Amino acid sequence: MTAEGWREVAGARSRPWAGTRHAVARGGSGPWWVALGGVVVVVLLLGAGAADQRADFEQAFLPPSAEHPFGTDQAGRDLLARSLAGARVSLLVGLVAALVSSVVGVVVGGLAGSLASRAGGVVDGVLMRVVDAVNALPHLVLGIVIVALLGPSLGSVILSVALTHWTTTARLVRAELLALEGVGFVEAAVGAGAGRWWVLSRHLLAHVMGRVVLATVLMVPHAIMHESALSFLGLGLPDDQASLGTIIEQSRTAVLAGHWWPAVLPGLLLVALSLVVFVLGERLRPVSWGRS
Amino acid sequence: MDDRRRVRLPTRLHPARPPLTGLLVGRLLLLPVLVAVVTLVMFALAQRTPFDPVLATLGERALTMDGPTLEAMRDRASDTGAVQQWAAWWGNALQGDLGVSSSQRSPVSTVIAQRLPWTLGLMSAALVLAVLGGVLVGGLAGTRPGSWADRAVGGGLLATQAAPPFWVGLVAVWVFAVWLGWLPTGGATSPGSGSVEALDVLRHAVLPVLVLALSQLPWFGLVVRDATRDALAGVPVRAGWARGIPTARLLRQHAVRPALLPLVTVLGVRVPELITGAVLVETVFSWPGVASATVDSALRLDFPLLAALTVLTTVLVVLGNLAADVAYRVVDPRVGRRDG
Amino acid sequence: MRLPSCYRRVMRMFRNRYSAPLSSLLLVGLVLAGCTDPTTSPSGEREGAAATSSRATEVVVATGGEPDSFNPVLGYARWGDGKIVEGLVRLGVDLEPEPVLAEELPEVADDGLTYTVTLREGVTFHDGQELDAEDVVATYEAALDPENGSPVAADLTALESVEAVDGRTVRFTLAHPQSAFVTTTTLGILPADQVDATSPEDVVGTGPYQVEGYRAGERLVLTASPDYWGEQPEVTRATFLFVDDDAARAARLASGEVDAALLPTQALGRFEDDGAYDVIRRDTADFRALVLPEEGEVTGDPAIRTALQTGLDRQALVDGALAGAGRPAYGPIPPEAPEYSDVVEVEANPRTAEQRLEEAGWVEGADGVRARDGQRAAFTLMYPAGDTLRQNVALEVQAQAAELGIEVEPEGLSWEAIEPRMSSDALVYGSGNPYNADLSTYPLFHSSRAFQGFDNPGGYDSAEMDAALEAGRAAQEDSERVEAYATVQEQLAQDLPWVFLAYVEHDYVIEADTWAGYDVPLVEPHEHGLQGGPWWNLPSWTTAGG
Repeated sequence: MTAEGWREVAGARSRPWAGTRHAVARGGSGPWWVALGGVVVVVLLLGAGAADQRADFEQAFLPPSAEHPFGTDQAGRDLLARSLAGARVSLLVGLVAALVSSVVGVVVGGLAGSLASRAGGVVDGVLMRVVDAVNALPHLVLGIVIVALLGPSLGSVILSVALTHWTTTARLVRAELLALEGVGFVEAAVGAGAGRWWVLSRHLLAHVMGRVVLATVLMVPHAIMHESALSFLGLGLPDDQASLGTIIEQSRTAVLAGHWWPAVLPGLLLVALSLVVFVLGERLRPVSWGRS
Repeated sequence: MDDRRRVRLPTRLHPARPPLTGLLVGRLLLLPVLVAVVTLVMFALAQRTPFDPVLATLGERALTMDGPTLEAMRDRASDTGAVQQWAAWWGNALQGDLGVSSSQRSPVSTVIAQRLPWTLGLMSAALVLAVLGGVLVGGLAGTRPGSWADRAVGGGLLATQAAPPFWVGLVAVWVFAVWLGWLPTGGATSPGSGSVEALDVLRHAVLPVLVLALSQLPWFGLVVRDATRDALAGVPVRAGWARGIPTARLLRQHAVRPALLPLVTVLGVRVPELITGAVLVETVFSWPGVASATVDSALRLDFPLLAALTVLTTVLVVLGNLAADVAYRVVDPRVGRRDG
Repeated sequence: MRLPSCYRRVMRMFRNRYSAPLSSLLLVGLVLAGCTDPTTSPSGEREGAAATSSRATEVVVATGGEPDSFNPVLGYARWGDGKIVEGLVRLGVDLEPEPVLAEELPEVADDGLTYTVTLREGVTFHDGQELDAEDVVATYEAALDPENGSPVAADLTALESVEAVDGRTVRFTLAHPQSAFVTTTTLGILPADQVDATSPEDVVGTGPYQVEGYRAGERLVLTASPDYWGEQPEVTRATFLFVDDDAARAARLASGEVDAALLPTQALGRFEDDGAYDVIRRDTADFRALVLPEEGEVTGDPAIRTALQTGLDRQALVDGALAGAGRPAYGPIPPEAPEYSDVVEVEANPRTAEQRLEEAGWVEGADGVRARDGQRAAFTLMYPAGDTLRQNVALEVQAQAAELGIEVEPEGLSWEAIEPRMSSDALVYGSGNPYNADLSTYPLFHSSRAFQGFDNPGGYDSAEMDAALEAGRAAQEDSERVEAYATVQEQLAQDLPWVFLAYVEHDYVIEADTWAGYDVPLVEPHEHGLQGGPWWNLPSWTTAGG
């Protein structure tokens, strides 16, 4: 086993949530979870909660009640509606960022894997050192630098998440390609007159796609966490596109004044959201595992 | 038992030695390259920033400043290339001059000297607590697979992992500082008192250390639990059972040790996560460490400080990884034999 | 010296309990966090702390964010109320200048072009140097030097040269007469060889207090200067804590960690009912206004502007968004200033506003938003992200404008992001001072200042306005000046490039019955914090009850 290999097994950075797999695997029944998670995600994406509410300062900081289950914020806006809208923003950012990072990962991993045995593996070596370098930095610090330098906006937040999270997919794709190369059917196909790139795109990528999709879904909770951390640090999305991280950031003052609900309840929603997406991903695992 | 292991290790280790030194040399040679590339990327990104460095340096002063004066400063702000800036920065840095931080208004070396100990203190105290807690919780769950304790621990750790540290920190502030009024809301020392007193700092450190430890706990807990469970299911333990060796002793010899080894050896790999957690925790609790200064320096485009802190984190992470690799090779000599 | 003994102590505690690697890790943590003193700045704070005993002679104050600089040349204590540095004159509670380092108020030549100042005798800086005319010249020249990028330069645009006539006499020569020039001689004087000090520890003044300790972003400690030329202050040691977060200041005040604090109105409640605290509410000239860009299709339209001016209920905005802490504003000059003109005050009347919109062809559409020729009555209102007060103002304007059929979309942005958009999007702006009408109008409304930095952000351009501003600046007689600024205010009310909303109140809480003399009827400028508040006149506090 290589030094890289054992770290994968130890469930280190490349798969930070890996250790939790057993915890999920033994609770509840599969389809149920998938259905529930799917429903939650779809409902959120379809737009529960209104983002643009009018301020009403007479209603400021009302504690949770039947009318406002999450209470109201400093401008008298209903926090449940704001939190749901924020959860949608978080989820969307998470999905798009995970998607972008998977694309980057597939391209880099695909290049590295398919060129590993060519030109003395120079391309492969360089790309893998880049992977090491990105992995060798704390993602949040790197994300802070990226957002700070590009200016806080939806685009730079997504970019920041994508640029720090693609390495898992890249390694996965590369490893799969190398494993397949050993089987010999690429040689067979090339021998039968097929172009190398054609083989790569038609067979190999199709083969690893299942795993890539799964890796993408499993990356969403990370992306959500990363985005919310950036927003909390004031480097994320502005108030008018408030994500859950932004709402929690704005609650800091309220908390110190004794108003707990603007921080606690949206935070619980954030925890629930990452758990649902995570469990959903774990449940999809056997489905997409394919033949490999 | 202990002695036997210690004696046997070196003999087993012997064949793996050349790769180990190779690894050390390789990584240490790679470090300057990595640091150089990382800073170069930073300066290159800085060139692309839509922000106006004059505004960033001036801060709020820009708003009360005479318009024509501001425009004149902008005209003067020279537009040197990223590579020149980068080279100039390194040229000075290698001579020991890290420049002056505009966000902290002190020399960068002073800022780091003042703030780094607070961060290291916070991180190491939290790490120790997280490891102890992880061993406790993971051991509890791992030795009773399938029990309610196991399920509770598993679920609890999963939920903890999903809870962002900044949110946990805010909740802790509300409960312990605002509601119960037991602990201070932030900072590291009480205002008014000029000196740093151990008890005062300890009071301020309770919440940040606990929250940071909690954010690191799930990973350690789960690693220990899985390792313990695997060890208990292994042949030696079952054989021991058959021989009638007391359960407690079996656990100590065959479960705790195998569970601890991977934990200790991969501590170094957790450095990036620890830094990430520290950034958030220091911000929530206004802890005067380098991690919160990173955020400030990024927001204020304080390049001298940002560059120095980026180098610092890179070095910390690489050394952490290296320590992990070395520790693992020392512990498990099979690793590296096929690396050559 | 402290470190090894401390290390040993911890070591002894843990030596036998844990295995070596764990305990050494723990040690690193405890030793670093608990035993060393990593943030000791070269300030000798420790000796200071040890030497104190009496309670009332010390005060701990929590202000907002840290000033960007402590050097008067770079904008510190712009109105001459510095505790560390002093100007030739300062502005008193009644907004009138009074001499400080000058023996008496500057002597003005008949043509209004030269001001001659005689310096007070026997004044020394904290470092022992004696104050002389060269120091004054050097300080003013540093402020004028474009290399320094001094915000004070804006106050000194009329100043052509400054020279030392003799050791105790300074002569200012103006390019053109400026009746308000005396209010700009508040600039704090530094020793000639230290005008470029950057760290507060290097700022040497003549004031009653000198800097004892400073920690960036955290605190500034002042102690009474033993050689002060004037009366020794009764409060001999003051610690200013820089705490950005409003609620954190409230929490620290409630826990007794600090004696006085700047607080948002929403946090005053618990202190108002508590006899142990004294609540100070200060009126200000610190206005918030909407900047409506000239270029905007909607924001540049006279009907929309009039509708906002008459339709927005300023009192409701003060009661709601400002939680009662403020008063309606109708122009940049506050009622306390002699130049104030009350003809610009308007009564809120949404019906008139809607009528005006109807007449101008803005008809309400199906979505409740008015439109004219396919142009919706909608605009973006920018505010600096993180500024809760301005965010609240923007949200309240959004709510009130919706009633009129105008859609306002608030957007929180960084100043960097705001600046390039100021010509097209509306902005919540804050500024204002009660001292100098020229400074609170000229940069904001003169056409030559359009989009210069953050001056004239909407690009307002009016020949009448330019003429009135120039007349006000050059006025020599008070009556002439008042007349010019009346024109300025009326022209503003007519063109409505900005819609003024409110002067925000600055609120402070201080421990009661310990000190006296802080409750003065001061009208504060936009800038406050270290210099404003009850501690504005810290040197003249008495230790009353304590």
